[in-house]
Amino acid sequence: MTWLAIVLIVIGLFFLIVGSIGMLRLPDVFSRAHSLSLTDSLGAVFVLAGLAVYEGFSFNLLRILVVLVLVYFLNPVIAHATIRAAYRSGLRPTKRETK
Amino acid sequence: MTTFFFFVLITLTALMLVYFYRVVRGPSVFDRVLGLNGISTKAIVLLVVIGTLFERVDMFVDISTGYALLNLVSALAIAKFLEEKGASQK
Amino acid sequence: MRFFAAVALFVLWLVLSASYDLIHVATGAVVASLVVWLSPSGSSHVRRFSWMAALAYIPWLFGRVLKSGLHVSRLILDPALPIAPELVHHKTNLSRDGELVVLGNSITLTPGTITVEVAPGELIVHAIDAKSHQDLSRGVFDDRVSRMFSAKEDSQ
Repeated sequence: MTWLAIVLIVIGLFFLIVGSIGMLRLPDVFSRAHSLSLTDSLGAVFVLAGLAVYEGFSFNLLRILVVLVLVYFLNPVIAHATIRAAYRSGLRPTKRETK
Repeated sequence: MTTFFFFVLITLTALMLVYFYRVVRGPSVFDRVLGLNGISTKAIVLLVVIGTLFERVDMFVDISTGYALLNLVSALAIAKFLEEKGASQK
Repeated sequence: MRFFAAVALFVLWLVLSASYDLIHVATGAVVASLVVWLSPSGSSHVRRFSWMAALAYIPWLFGRVLKSGLHVSRLILDPALPIAPELVHHKTNLSRDGELVVLGNSITLTPGTITVEVAPGELIVHAIDAKSHQDLSRGVFDDRVSRMFSAKEDSQ
C-alpha cells in the first residue's frame, strides 16, 4: 500500500515538474495555459490520490477525495476564465487561425 | 517515509519558485495571473502533504479546501476585471 | 430529485465536519434542507440526465486526459519544441447551457486543448498542435456528452 502511494506521488511529481518546464519554455499565454492544465489535471490529482492511498480507509481518505474533486472541477474554470479574458482583450496566439 | 515527504515538500517549493519567476517576469498581465494560479494549485497540494507529515490531515484538508474555494473566487474576479480593463497595461 | 440533492449535501457536511454529536448532525440536516428549499427547482439547463452514462464518462475522460497528457509532456520535453498552436472553430449540436458546460470543461481539462470562447453552437478552442485536436474535430467528445444528456430512461 505504501509502495503504491509512493509510485502515485512520484508520477504526480513528474507531471508537476514537466508543467513547470513548460511554463518556462512555451512562447505565449495560450500555450502556457496548456502546461498549467497539465499541472492541474494530472500532477495535483496524482499526488492527492497517492496521499489518499497512504491514508488508508478512513474519513481522511474521503476528505482528500473532496479536495481532489474540487481541484478537478474548478481549475478548468479558472484556466478558461483567464484565457477568455486574454482573448477578449485583444491578445492572439502567434500562429494561424483555421476554420 | 518522513524523508520521502520532506523530499516532496522541497520539490513542491522549488516548483513554486519557478512559477514565481513567471509572475515577476511575465510579459503580459495574463502570464502573471496564470503563474499565480499555478502557485495556488501547488499550495493546495503542499497543505495536504504537510498534514500527512504531521498526521493532522483532518485539520489541513479543511484549510486546503478553503484555499481552493478562495482561489477560485479571486481568480474569477481578476479575470473579469482584466476583461473590462483590457491588456493595455503591461 | 430535490431529496437526493439534500441527501448529497448532508453527506458532504458529514464528511467535512467529522464530528457526530447531536448538535452538529442536526445543524447539518437543517442547513442542507434549507439550501435545497431556497434554491430553484427543476433547472432548464439540461433536458435529461443519465447517471449510468455519467458514471461511464468519468473513467473514459480520465483515460483521455492521461493519453493527451503524455503527448503534451513529450512535446514540452522535446529539445526542438515542435508545437504548432492554432485556434479551431468547433461546431457542435449541443445548445443547452448544462451540456456546453460539461463539454467545455472536459475540453479544458484535457491537456493540449483549451476552450477560449463559448457560444451556443460554436466553441473556439485553442489547440497546441494538430494531433491534440483531431479527436475533438472528429466529434468524439460531442457524442459522449450528448449520450449523457439524451438517454431515454432516468429522466429528471
